[in-house]
Amino acid sequence: MKAILEVKQLVKKYGDFTAVDGISFDIMEGEIFSLLGPNGAGKTTTISMLSTLYIPTSGEAVIGGHSVTKEPMAVRNLIGVVPQDLALYEDLTARENLAFWGQMYGLSGKTLNARIEQVLEQIGLVDKAKDRVKTYSGGMKRRVNIGVGLLHKPKLLFMDEPTVGIDPQSRRLILDSVKELNKQGMTVLYTTHYMEEAEELSDRVGIMDNGKLIALGTQAELTKQVGEMETLILHVGENDDPERLAVALRSLKMVRKADVTDHTVSVIVPEAEQALAPAVTRANELGIKIHSVDMREPNLEAVFLHLTGKALRD
Amino acid sequence: MKKIYNIIWKDTILRFSSLSELLFFLILPLIFTFILAGGTGTQNADNRIRLLVVDQAQSPLSAQIIAELAKSATVRPDVLTLSKAESEFQARNASVLLVIPADCDSQTLRTAAIVLDLRQMPDNLNAQAAQRAVQAVLYRLGSAVSIAKNAVTEAEKLRSFASELDRQAYFDTALASAQSLMNSAPDRENVVMGGTIDPIQYDPRANSSAGQMITWVFIPLIGISGAFAYERQRGTLRRLLTSPTGKGTYLLGTILGNVLWSLVQMTLLVSFGALILKVHWANNPAALAVMMTTSALAAAALGTMLGTFVKTEAQASGLSIMLGMVMALLGGCWYPLELFPAVVQNLVKVLPTTWAMQGMLDILLRGQGVIGILPVAGVLLAFAAVFFVIGILRFKYE
Repeated sequence: MKAILEVKQLVKKYGDFTAVDGISFDIMEGEIFSLLGPNGAGKTTTISMLSTLYIPTSGEAVIGGHSVTKEPMAVRNLIGVVPQDLALYEDLTARENLAFWGQMYGLSGKTLNARIEQVLEQIGLVDKAKDRVKTYSGGMKRRVNIGVGLLHKPKLLFMDEPTVGIDPQSRRLILDSVKELNKQGMTVLYTTHYMEEAEELSDRVGIMDNGKLIALGTQAELTKQVGEMETLILHVGENDDPERLAVALRSLKMVRKADVTDHTVSVIVPEAEQALAPAVTRANELGIKIHSVDMREPNLEAVFLHLTGKALRD
Repeated sequence: MKKIYNIIWKDTILRFSSLSELLFFLILPLIFTFILAGGTGTQNADNRIRLLVVDQAQSPLSAQIIAELAKSATVRPDVLTLSKAESEFQARNASVLLVIPADCDSQTLRTAAIVLDLRQMPDNLNAQAAQRAVQAVLYRLGSAVSIAKNAVTEAEKLRSFASELDRQAYFDTALASAQSLMNSAPDRENVVMGGTIDPIQYDPRANSSAGQMITWVFIPLIGISGAFAYERQRGTLRRLLTSPTGKGTYLLGTILGNVLWSLVQMTLLVSFGALILKVHWANNPAALAVMMTTSALAAAALGTMLGTFVKTEAQASGLSIMLGMVMALLGGCWYPLELFPAVVQNLVKVLPTTWAMQGMLDILLRGQGVIGILPVAGVLLAFAAVFFVIGILRFKYE
């Protein structure tokens, strides 16, 4: 398989602050590649550089054989961008929005009209196409936002956290659309801080934190980094101190790591089921009430915890 | 080219998506043009203070007083009967009333003082000004009377008058002679005015039509800054610049669209001025086209530059209305620049509205053609060039 995107030592600095710190990765044609990381990890800055909006401080990125810095127009013809925030004219109808953006991507005449119909079908808004976007629900607006990025059938589609703040139904529709687009041959670079989305969609995942790409590979390759470890998640009461429980759990022989997020203690152990009883005992000894318990097999959350010492939603 | 057209079309739909835009595009400009065309008066109108006069004497002397008052630059005597004058005064239709008593004749004047009755509205500046004007006229007449009285006294020292009629006749002759000499006295003040006096008279219809057009076209053009802020706030500009659309294409489309709509707006307002107010907009269509285009470009460039300083659409909207109104006011679009002090008249030359207004009036009132308005058009183009360069260099998508 051929790489459609090659990123080499890409850096973006704002004064003393380094937003993206020398990341390198490739994306193969036909692949869904996810950049997974918490807010502020540098995902959006990376997409902004790849979509020619920001000029990198150093490093290089090549899309379809064209440098993003030296041939931005050639790159823009190959890519589609679905930004994190809505970027639509809310006083225009969905159809008018699609027509405008389609023309800005060089479509016209019958081709444009045909693509508008296809995209409206794809995002499930054929019946609402003549309504102004400002009358839509949040989820419907998100779907139009995605539709705009698909109009010109880009070779590489950048989707920057497209499911933030929307209802579960719209989220499901978007995830299914991404899979469908990929089946049709579109390469997708998807950024998210939702581990479940990265797990569901991606052929490969790059994990970002503090501007760095700290891990890269398939889900199986990444979870191997935490070995056969499982995660035991303990939810404690609002008045209890989860940090005290984490400290106590770390003294258990079987516990490899114990970290706190809000009122949750995430514990990395070889077998979560076996660790449950001692963990509950320790909690009782400390007078901490456990409200609920989750047990998870090795996943990206555990990988992130393993690599950074903090939970993904921190 | 297709993309530029596409941007213009999109901006047009967005601009007119709300009917309230028509209010600013056409309705308010027409209303203000119409009101100001008739509301500012003409140069030939008599703006002197109305002075109610009751002439109970009906004598040559009372007629003379009224004639002198009529020559005043301050008051305009309106001779009425006592009842009518009192009724007007009570109704506050005039702030001052002068009653000339029945004994006001030269015979009484020669032997005794005559008391005129001047009634004023309290705390009224017009009444006070009228009082001074009446006093000035009476002082002038009084001086002549004193001279005539002295002449009679001196004449009697040389020889006695045969009768009272002779004395009165001598007094009348002396009075007439004194008044004649006083009226023909040479000016002792020599006033020298510098500069070239513009012989063109103020025409409220022309000023209103041109001034309101500039005002209401400059405001939305300065409002281009709002269009940039709108696109930045909504992220559409960012998205646009990830499509195969250059910064230049976007700027050209946005600016060109606004300039074209401003030309449409100006054409409608010019038509209204020509057809309804009978303003001579058809004097020189080519010169008018040059002035319309250069004015629109200067305003659009100012909007482009401001667009790089404002952060939000609301900020841009407030600023463009405030700046447009202030610039129009100081540029002579609402009141003739001649009403401002000379220093201000020079200072406001830094405003494009001043030049736009001057160019329009050059066409309307001074009958200038393309060659005549070229210097003004050149200044407007210079404004446009400076503002565009700053705006384009500073342009950012977020």
